[in-house]
Amino acid sequence: MSLKQLRTAGFEEVIYDNGEPCLVIFSRKDCHVCKEVVPVLEELQPKYENKFGFYYVDVEEDKALFQRFSLKGVPQLLFFKDGEYLGKQAGKVEEDQVEERIADILE
Amino acid sequence: MANSYDLIIIGGGPGGLSAAIYGGRAKLKTLVINKGAIGGLVNTTREIVNYPGYGQISGPDLMKDFKKHAETFGVEFIKGEVTQTDFSQAEKKVVTKKGQEFLAKAVIVACGSEPRLLNIPGEKRLRGMGVAYCATCDAEFFEGEDVVVVGSGDQAIEEGMFITKFARKVTVVVLHDEGILDCNKVSAERALNHEKMEFIWNSTIEEVVGKENVEGVKIKNLKTGSTSELSCQGVFFFVGMVPSTGYLKDSGIEMDKRGYIPVNELMETNLEGVYAVGDNRVKYLRQVISAAGDGATAAVAAERYIEEVNDFNSNVLQSDKKVLLLFFNAQDNESLKYRTALEELNEKLGTDYKILSVDMATKKNLAEKYAIKTIPSVVVLDKGTEINRLEGLEESLERLI
Repeated sequence: MSLKQLRTAGFEEVIYDNGEPCLVIFSRKDCHVCKEVVPVLEELQPKYENKFGFYYVDVEEDKALFQRFSLKGVPQLLFFKDGEYLGKQAGKVEEDQVEERIADILE
Repeated sequence: MANSYDLIIIGGGPGGLSAAIYGGRAKLKTLVINKGAIGGLVNTTREIVNYPGYGQISGPDLMKDFKKHAETFGVEFIKGEVTQTDFSQAEKKVVTKKGQEFLAKAVIVACGSEPRLLNIPGEKRLRGMGVAYCATCDAEFFEGEDVVVVGSGDQAIEEGMFITKFARKVTVVVLHDEGILDCNKVSAERALNHEKMEFIWNSTIEEVVGKENVEGVKIKNLKTGSTSELSCQGVFFFVGMVPSTGYLKDSGIEMDKRGYIPVNELMETNLEGVYAVGDNRVKYLRQVISAAGDGATAAVAAERYIEEVNDFNSNVLQSDKKVLLLFFNAQDNESLKYRTALEELNEKLGTDYKILSVDMATKKNLAEKYAIKTIPSVVVLDKGTEINRLEGLEESLERLI
């Protein structure tokens, strides 16, 4: 299942108001590393249904969002819980790295 | 078996996709296992201007055409990363990270290469925080900032020029003496005259510095040995590639110390039925066109090999009659006549052997399997087991039967 896209407008609501534990991948269409990481997340997503959210931000469509987190590259996975930013993973991350991080957050 | 194929191709770049086209067209049941986006490293190329028939095309678009072409021949694709292999049996086994197992009679290794890391302090830690390997992906993040590019090959210089569209200044750190770049001449000239590009010669990078984000690099001059610090917000590394063949370490495939696989002109590795193409093999030119050529060669070699294996299984190993395998050379008249002599003898003695000729020139694998050194040679098989053999012309045929 494809990831749900977050736009600048909806970002506040999902991340800060709902406070759901989740990750957001910042990616762009022509980034080959993103194309490797996104499918990994898409496959993980069903396993964490209703427990952990998976979203993506297209940095070309929503420049303001990547500027806000002063990101220096894609893909980057940003992790949130209770509206709090918990850190990020950059570049080609592996499935188990992401799962480890999710486990930490859900603990 | 659902997971059993004639040909498995590991990797979906130009080498793998070309092999898939040839494999599919030869009616081999062909599977491509690819871990990322189809196209591999070609996807990082914005512009290809030297692939015949295409005046100018982007890497991803060219690869889409390759894939579409392969699909018209019924090739199957699956997403996955191969992490284990067993090439010791006739049916070769390939296992993905998720534990899916696939079997095939022949395997083509076409999994390409990945950027080489310098393994210097800060490089890993600041990855994505200013350390980058892909200009298409990340150049835009450095709008109005200072960027350092390490390397002077085609990729370094061309990507460096692309970064100038966004960055304030691009400083290229080059190993060589002033004026010498490893890239093609057209790009070198453009880069050297580029108003936003600067060069630091005879130097390399020792460390990437910064707490949260990249703040600068330590540059070491290789001639003087002195170190200086240059402040910047981004560092792009283009210091060459390494083949992604690490997962084959214990497969029995021969590799050189950098991980490249030596092959012969049929793309055959040291293992029977296993081939390596494109960026995975030892070779001179690493381009889309040469990878594609490798793929075609390997697929045809694999097709012939598979045919040989199938033939041999049904005609020899499963034969009810005893089999006389005659190894001959089509260019050697004496060895040609031998077939006639064998037939005559078989008839005279009424022994009803099945006689099969094996041309040494095309059935190299069989010749190796039976360790044939002289021509002609005859091997007598009973249900696949050798029970006798005769080497050379001197020995009497009667001894054999």
